[in-house]
Amino acid sequence: MVKLSCTGWLKLLLCLAAAGLVALLVAAPEGGGMARSSALDKGLERELARQARAAFVRELYAPVTELRASGQPQQALLKLEELARTYPGDPHGLVLRAEILRELGRLDQAIGHYAQALRLNGEFLDEQGPFTRRTEIRQLVEEGLATLLPRFQAHPDNRSLATTVKEIYYLQSRLAGGCE
Amino acid sequence: MTRRFLLLLLFPVFFLPGCDRLEERPKMKIAYMNCNNERETYQRFAPISSYLSEKTGVEFETVVVDTHEFEERMKAGEFALVHTNSLLYIILKEAVGLKLMATEKRGAFGSHTAGALIARKGSGIEKIEDIKGKRLIFGPMMAPSGYLAQYDLMLAAGIDPERDLAYYAIPAGAFKHEKLVYAVYFGDFDVAAAPVLDLEEMTREGKIEADDFTILAQSATFPYCTFGAAADLDPTLFAKIKKALLDLGPEDTAELDGERFKVLKTSWAEGFEDLLDSDYDGLREMARRANMPPYQSY
Repeated sequence: MVKLSCTGWLKLLLCLAAAGLVALLVAAPEGGGMARSSALDKGLERELARQARAAFVRELYAPVTELRASGQPQQALLKLEELARTYPGDPHGLVLRAEILRELGRLDQAIGHYAQALRLNGEFLDEQGPFTRRTEIRQLVEEGLATLLPRFQAHPDNRSLATTVKEIYYLQSRLAGGCE
Repeated sequence: MTRRFLLLLLFPVFFLPGCDRLEERPKMKIAYMNCNNERETYQRFAPISSYLSEKTGVEFETVVVDTHEFEERMKAGEFALVHTNSLLYIILKEAVGLKLMATEKRGAFGSHTAGALIARKGSGIEKIEDIKGKRLIFGPMMAPSGYLAQYDLMLAAGIDPERDLAYYAIPAGAFKHEKLVYAVYFGDFDVAAAPVLDLEEMTREGKIEADDFTILAQSATFPYCTFGAAADLDPTLFAKIKKALLDLGPEDTAELDGERFKVLKTSWAEGFEDLLDSDYDGLREMARRANMPPYQSY
């Protein structure tokens, strides 16, 4: 048996480690490519699903959007009722409902529906997202604070006003990045 | 044996204080405005009375009252509470000092509602000006969202309902609001004064489609049905009843004739809100413009 000194053993270990690294490098390009390709697939799938969802939601609520655009908010609300038979509690429907109610002068109801929609789906606050309502929610909060808060301060025992003010603060906190 | 006999003699004594309490329980009446018919109105609202009895310790009796009887019977001091449409609330506030307690929530506008003028799609009637010379069907005369709101809309558009229509009618019997929607749908009338809530519910139930009608005009929203209290109702009891109504949630039940009911579901309500009397000012203005009670002048 070959007798090796301490340095010799170290040299042998170093050689073995180097050989292992070479083997890993040879195998690595193939394995890393698969991982990258798999990650790419997942990203693609996610994007496809996101786009398909956005397209579906747009198509689903297109009649509501058209009615609103043609100045028929009540017909749009009725159309939402029809759609709610198949998709009850859908947050996109809630947001549309909130917008129509705001148009029709029901600020408290609009605030309530926006808050409900945000509790179900936070993407309405995503500035880059397809369904962003960040600006609308900010304006709603400002309007609510300007009109409903003084009303509540004048009638602090009023439970309905207290509930609405609480919802305004909830929307405000979500705009500021707060969670539930 | 003697001991058992004595116990039997004492047994009813344990219940006597309970009987006393039952007898002591004050009795009051709640008047509910007759909606479609007396039976349906009773079935809808009696569980609310039972619920309030359970919450307050007062024995409330449910009484169904026709619209035109309210003022006289309130003046006679017959009712502690009334549940009426918002126009009747205004009338009774003027007449007997009715105090606002809580407003019912139902439909898309919550504690509010609105009235609309509708025509069948494709009838050629596209805007409110087109209804001159046409046949119109109203809801009941004291209905704020089935008569007053639409009367006011026509006046605002320069149409005098008394002169500028071919004629107008009010359907007879129960389910007046649904009848007038169908009357336009089936072509018996050209235009209907439809409460938005009924359009919404009929759409939700699949009885009509959103595209079946053209909405020619729609009023601003105003408060929906309202609980009011007699001016002399004890303030502590007033607060207790109001709290019970505002607390009422979908899972709350009440017993009636040995059966337990979900109070809100049975009454078709979605809850109650705490409104201010000034929330009724828009409706007051409508009544003034349309020369309707309590501001009617000849």
